[in-house]
Amino acid sequence: MDTQFLVSLTIILATFALYIGIAIYNKAKATSDFYVAGRGVPPIFNGMAIGADWMSAASFIGMAGTIMLLGYDGLAYIMGWTGGYLLLTFLLAPQLRKYGRYTVPEFIGDRFDSHTARVIAAVITIIISFTYSIGQLSGSGVVIGRLFEIDAKLGTMIGVVLIAFYAAFGGMKGITWTQVAQYIILIIAYLIPVIFMSLQITGNPMPWLSYGELVGKMGELDRELGISEYFAPFTNGTKWQFLALMFTLMAGTAGLPHVIVRFYTVSTMKAARWSGAWALLFIGLLYLSAPAYAAFSRFILMTKVAGSKISELPEWTKTWVDTGKLQVADGNGDGILQWSELVISNDIVVMATPEIANLGVFVIGLVAAGAMAAALSTAGGLMIAISSSFAHDIYYRVLKPNATEKKRLSVARWSIVIATLFAGLIALNPPGAITQIVAWAFALATGTFFPALVLGVWWKRSNAKGVIAGLLVGLGVTLTYIFAAKYGGFTILGIIDTGAGVFGAAAAFLTNIIVSLSTEAPSQKIQEEVIDLRYPEQMVYKNGEVWMNDGTKQL
Amino acid sequence: MKKIDKEVADSYFRERTRNIIIYFIVWFLVSFGVVFFAEPLSQYSINGFPLHYFMGAQGAVITFIILLFVNAKLSDNVDKKYGIDESKNEQISSGKVFEH
Repeated sequence: MDTQFLVSLTIILATFALYIGIAIYNKAKATSDFYVAGRGVPPIFNGMAIGADWMSAASFIGMAGTIMLLGYDGLAYIMGWTGGYLLLTFLLAPQLRKYGRYTVPEFIGDRFDSHTARVIAAVITIIISFTYSIGQLSGSGVVIGRLFEIDAKLGTMIGVVLIAFYAAFGGMKGITWTQVAQYIILIIAYLIPVIFMSLQITGNPMPWLSYGELVGKMGELDRELGISEYFAPFTNGTKWQFLALMFTLMAGTAGLPHVIVRFYTVSTMKAARWSGAWALLFIGLLYLSAPAYAAFSRFILMTKVAGSKISELPEWTKTWVDTGKLQVADGNGDGILQWSELVISNDIVVMATPEIANLGVFVIGLVAAGAMAAALSTAGGLMIAISSSFAHDIYYRVLKPNATEKKRLSVARWSIVIATLFAGLIALNPPGAITQIVAWAFALATGTFFPALVLGVWWKRSNAKGVIAGLLVGLGVTLTYIFAAKYGGFTILGIIDTGAGVFGAAAAFLTNIIVSLSTEAPSQKIQEEVIDLRYPEQMVYKNGEVWMNDGTKQL
Repeated sequence: MKKIDKEVADSYFRERTRNIIIYFIVWFLVSFGVVFFAEPLSQYSINGFPLHYFMGAQGAVITFIILLFVNAKLSDNVDKKYGIDESKNEQISSGKVFEH
């Protein structure tokens, strides 16, 4: 046991104690606390909670590395995962908030007045959130495992028990406030290393302003080496794949149930709009910094590591070479490490930066705590989404509409515990590449919920048959394209499996519209409810007339 | 409750929708538009970055954030113009909501 171990352990345990304390303090007493945090979360805090909910272990640990390895093509993730908030905030969030339900399947079930649609939506929510959560749990296992030099499996179990405890106890109310704390921890942990790195390499403490020079300089180095420039577009796929991936990530963002449900926790449509704005500002702090991490790391690897003698590599490379995250092989046997002889894992960029910049034990421990915060906060939000789909939409709305409040809370709590343990078991032996599966979750959300919600909110003529057909066709087309592209070598315009959402969404929109138009219109009451979503809470649409609710009695 | 002219409510909706369409045009140009013309744009540079890289790594994201705040602020102004009182909204919303 060295100092590093003790410092990291102390920091991580302190953050765990904080999360548990917050959950106990904010114990959910009623179902409205449990599902929507009592609907009183102030927009700025909801923005932080959305940020923590949104930024996963993959964003925190892996994204900077992905951008470093993919160059310009990796920026599809930056634009896709931020641009989606415009679709969400302009087209869906305020309207869904005005409709005033607990979950996404509940909106679909009530808007289309169909239990079939409700159950399909609940099952799709569970599928999407479950695949996504496996990535989070195995991510937290990797962090705990690497840090404490224990098996990643044991690390995963520690993460699972912690999430199951505080999510089941505090529900959405507890999760909201733990996510606020987790956001603050993860953003500080993310920014400190990159600021110091910028200071050391460029002398400027603002990495966002300083790394442009390096990007240009690396282009020159690349030309000398005879490889494609760092910033050269479309070196890892076609332009159409870039555009399709970006669209899929944007529309998927707007269709992910665990993100949408965070907008249900505020009080009004206005608060939903401000939540979206604050959320993207907080998320932007991390997403604007990731390409800076990528540039600094690549610059150091190109200038300080490549080109030096194999026997004289910098001190910090040793631990990463030992774990296999950095591979150095002197292919041509000249005793000097060439750039082409380096194999770099994308996990290394953020985790190794504190060591590269020589920031000391405290910052290394803080970064580990930040990575844990990112994994736990996202997993917590996902677990609530899974539990509410089951306990609220399937159990209460369909199977047992007479269940008591107490019974419903206990079903909700137990479904969180069971879902977390089950996801944890799968995360012990994660199937294939996790990043791949997470990308598929986005494609599925794009092909299913995005069209269903947009048409549900904006087109009163969309009916139950249309949405059911749309959801099923969107799901079918997306899955078929994923498998055809991944295993059958079938592609259109070079669009691979991660961009499959484009086809799913197009098919789902078309199906929904065609089937809706060729079957009978929804009831007058439903159509009026949809028109009512155009207006703020105070304006009420009824029988073709608009009323202003000024607090006086209804006529 | 007092009845208001349907025209007034419609013009509220039109005004909000028009703004949103404008935001989406900007959103589309800075992301999809720039990617589509990435090759020709790469010959310009800004703050040391080739322009297309700058837009992908920073320009688009900053534009998105600004658009969201502009939307939040302008929507508040539109609400005010039509005499919408946020404290009433809160009251209505917490009373009316389907709490089950």
